[in-house]
Amino acid sequence: MSENEERREGGAGAFLNLGWRLLELGWASLKLLGTVVDRLLPAKVAFEPIPESGRAADRKMESESQMERREWWGTLFVLCAFLLAILGGIGFVIFFWSGSTGTKLLGGSLAVFLGGIGVTLVVWARWLMSQKQAVEPRHELQSSPSEREDASEAFCGGVRDVRRRRLLKWMGLTGAGVLGAMVVSLMRSLGMSPDASLYSRIWKGGQRLVTLDGKGVSLSSLQPGSMVTVFPENKIGSERAQTVLIRVKEQLLQLPEERASWAPAGYVAYSRVCTHAGCPVGEFEAEQSLLLCPCHQSTFDVLRAAAPTGGPAARPLPQLPLYADADGNLHAGGEFTAPPGPGFWDIL
Amino acid sequence: MAKRGLRRRLGMVPTLLRISLLGMLVSQFAAGQRVEGDPASDGARIFAQKCSMCHGERGEGIAAAVTIAGPSLQAEHEVGRVMTAVESGPSHMPAFSRVLSVSQIRAVSSYVSTQLAVIPLTGGDVGEGGKLFRVYCATCHRTAVRGGALAFAGRNAPALTDKSAALIAGAIRWGPGTMPAFPPAALDDRQLASVVEYVKFVQHPPDPGGSPLKYYGPVSEGFASAAALLMLIGVAGWIERGGKG
Amino acid sequence: MIVKTLSHWIDSRLHAAKFVRSALNHVFPDHWSFMLGEIALYSFMILVVTGTYLALFFHASAEKVIYRGSYHALDGETVSVAYRSMLHISLDVPAGLLIRQMHHWAALIFLWAILAHLARIFFTAAYRKPREMNWLIGLTLLLLALVNGFFGYSLGDDLLSGTGLRIGYAILLSVPVIGPWLAFLFMGGTIPNPAAIPRMYALHIFLVPGLIAGLLVLHLGMIWRQLHTNYPGSKRTNRTIVGSRLWPSYTAKSVGLLLLVFALVAALGGFAQIDPVWIYGPYAPSAIMAGAQPDWYLGWIEGAMRLFPGIKLHIGHWLIPELFFPAVLMPSLVFGALYLYPFVEKLFSSDKGDQNVLRLPYEQPFKTAFGIGVFVFMLVLLIAGGDDVIAVATDSSVVELRRILRILVIVAPPIAAMLTYPVCARIRRRKAAVAATTPQEIAVLEERHEGSATSSEELLPPHLDEGPGSHLRLGRTGASPTSEMGHSDIF
Repeated sequence: MSENEERREGGAGAFLNLGWRLLELGWASLKLLGTVVDRLLPAKVAFEPIPESGRAADRKMESESQMERREWWGTLFVLCAFLLAILGGIGFVIFFWSGSTGTKLLGGSLAVFLGGIGVTLVVWARWLMSQKQAVEPRHELQSSPSEREDASEAFCGGVRDVRRRRLLKWMGLTGAGVLGAMVVSLMRSLGMSPDASLYSRIWKGGQRLVTLDGKGVSLSSLQPGSMVTVFPENKIGSERAQTVLIRVKEQLLQLPEERASWAPAGYVAYSRVCTHAGCPVGEFEAEQSLLLCPCHQSTFDVLRAAAPTGGPAARPLPQLPLYADADGNLHAGGEFTAPPGPGFWDIL
Repeated sequence: MAKRGLRRRLGMVPTLLRISLLGMLVSQFAAGQRVEGDPASDGARIFAQKCSMCHGERGEGIAAAVTIAGPSLQAEHEVGRVMTAVESGPSHMPAFSRVLSVSQIRAVSSYVSTQLAVIPLTGGDVGEGGKLFRVYCATCHRTAVRGGALAFAGRNAPALTDKSAALIAGAIRWGPGTMPAFPPAALDDRQLASVVEYVKFVQHPPDPGGSPLKYYGPVSEGFASAAALLMLIGVAGWIERGGKG
Repeated sequence: MIVKTLSHWIDSRLHAAKFVRSALNHVFPDHWSFMLGEIALYSFMILVVTGTYLALFFHASAEKVIYRGSYHALDGETVSVAYRSMLHISLDVPAGLLIRQMHHWAALIFLWAILAHLARIFFTAAYRKPREMNWLIGLTLLLLALVNGFFGYSLGDDLLSGTGLRIGYAILLSVPVIGPWLAFLFMGGTIPNPAAIPRMYALHIFLVPGLIAGLLVLHLGMIWRQLHTNYPGSKRTNRTIVGSRLWPSYTAKSVGLLLLVFALVAALGGFAQIDPVWIYGPYAPSAIMAGAQPDWYLGWIEGAMRLFPGIKLHIGHWLIPELFFPAVLMPSLVFGALYLYPFVEKLFSSDKGDQNVLRLPYEQPFKTAFGIGVFVFMLVLLIAGGDDVIAVATDSSVVELRRILRILVIVAPPIAAMLTYPVCARIRRRKAAVAATTPQEIAVLEERHEGSATSSEELLPPHLDEGPGSHLRLGRTGASPTSEMGHSDIF
């Protein structure tokens, strides 16, 4: 059937067609422009009206005068819209080259240009083009049995022409497997295996606590209700090593038995990396001694070894044991109670 | 008139505090203290009698959850501002223009701005201030200091857009209410001045990209883009108006 | 003239005339809901154009430098080269900020349009045979767009997106068994890692857009081959397609739509500030900000992370992190359900053969109710993703808000579904009653519309059609495509 042939042709050329369509769209705009200019020249008739050949569904009949009036107003409208667009475009060029490149001016003029041409085209489509509805038959998507047989025969016949097919199959599988292994190996260079850094508890006993600018902290540094961010001496500014040092009233602390000596004079230190999703737990609520994470609003009770008290975090912040040396400077008494940061499968 | 306004405000305070405070204030009014004398000691005396109950003995601020608390004065270097505050009573502060004479007001203001104001506001670097701000302050107040939500009942961190440099500096050292205090070990004077300078800058940041959409970030951008899509649906409706599909 | 010569030249090398004819006669249905996919497509085109411009200026390196540029509030700060180039584009390159903002706004609109398009396809059952493959491709396009958006705004290495990257790393880490491997593969090591930015850059400008473009070609090609569906109406059957032809009317409408989308993006880019990275400041390990959200299309995952309670789950001595459930399991289930949906529905449906006529939502009350339920679920999660900003904007407690949202997320979807079902069933019953009352009158009207003896619009093969397409001969440049007037739909 010629119809089906045509459809198959159209299908085969669908991808080329897209590029062709884009070209034609560009040419169409220019052609439309030409038509407007045509209209403006009084002597030339741009097109011959074709006698109405019947009604399409979903459409009402219009009188000649109505048609003409719509065309006149439509032409006026598109002229105005297009003129506005051109003004906007010229404005853009002027703004740009004169140096006033503020986003408002450039963005506004660009929007006027694009919007004006867009409105022009749409009004053209609605007022100055036929609104004819087309009804087309759909072709059958499923191929006929004979077509399927032909395709199947083309494939199977070709397969039958190949000798030693089973050997080829096993060779193919083996080759694919080896290729896969090679590709995976190449991807290996993208990342490293999770190494000791993931499980590290950062601090070592005896390390001094220092602030962002390297100053040490001592027992007289903070008053109850204050906090400061500290690091080990050798890891200032490190993401995973950041620690929050808080001073609370000593009698309010309710640490577990084995951690009773970890808080000299009411100073407690916890990892600043939230155990939920890894944001720094920056917010400190001084009245109830709560640490709050701003990302998902997890709360940790400073007085109870940073146990999670609300929000989506499940595990407490790892605590750092502290002690004060003879001069009152604060040192770490060991490592964090757990690797800092969000949890993972074998975090233990 | 001032008395009536004051009583209305006092009505918000727990009874005990109200009675004692009322007693104190009434006794001041009754005594009609307008004694002239040596301005310097005068200033200190007036402060101790009239101001320290709200602002603390050294003007360090009273950290209380009730509205009667007064902010830290330790960065109030400008005597003119202090005088205006004493006279007109901004926010929750009562006005003292009828209680104190002009010379008394001048005395106490100069006491505050010379003796109590110990936090220097000069010598800061806005760049370093920004860096410290993003470590300590943005977590509660947000990067454009328009205030942030805090995950416990009752309070959100306030917006700082209309706060003076002195108030901000005082608050950082004092830690009003639920805000932690930042003593010199955490932020020394120069760092504090830097942070204050950055906050003043970001109260009115340059907005080269247009309307900042209230600085709510991706939330307002999501709303705006949804509105944009609805507009585009409207446009599509206009283009295909009358279309039956 | 030129067109004639050029067309002949090309045709004699490509045998183009036949498919040009069929292409230009291709029928598109006339309804605004068919333009949603086009809005998405045109947003993608805008992204490619603006993105190419940005790629010429952006420097994707995480190397640290001291900033000494035009934004004085960051003077002396240690920033990455990527962040510095973002500031350079925004503040120094003429029109740089405009293009950058247009790019970001276009990305947000792109994803809204995909979502609206997905909703239209879902609620009108356009995923049925023969369009199941297109449904799968469309979902994959959604996923790719999501991922590309995340990579895009994370390239600038500012504090907001850096926070998002931390969370992304934690999400990968939370996958049981293989979590640490996934996280280290993505980041190139433990966080923060300088390898992340160049890696995301290659994915964002090259691999993922390439995949999107390739899938788009398949997606559009299939629509072209299978032809669009139609809403139910006169002459619209499984064997016909009704609408307007590509040339000239649909071309004008579509290009007009492209320009109007572009215009809106330009207006947004010019007047509405988006992602002000200079205020957020550079990412630094100990810096953090409140009011940190991902872009809206990831807000549902963010909301799930905020609402899901902190349950501690151990299998032996192994931990299943609490982040796994809202951030990995839930999205996988949602997308898995979406992918499988057409095939699951097929099990319960009695449709036979190709389905080329859409079903209106009220004609499928159960499915529409289910869909509305899922939509409300996502909406509550999206709101939860911004709960701290909402708390500040309304001066309320975020803890209270979270409590309310936790209840809502369980309760609201079934309620919405239960409300939708009877509404749909009622509308369906009413429409059926109307249709049954006046069959005679309706038949007469139909006849009248189809009556004319010289009607050229009946079921004729295209090459015998007397419509505008037949007037189009390549080379007849004077011929105006607007040769047949008669439409009275004023504006």
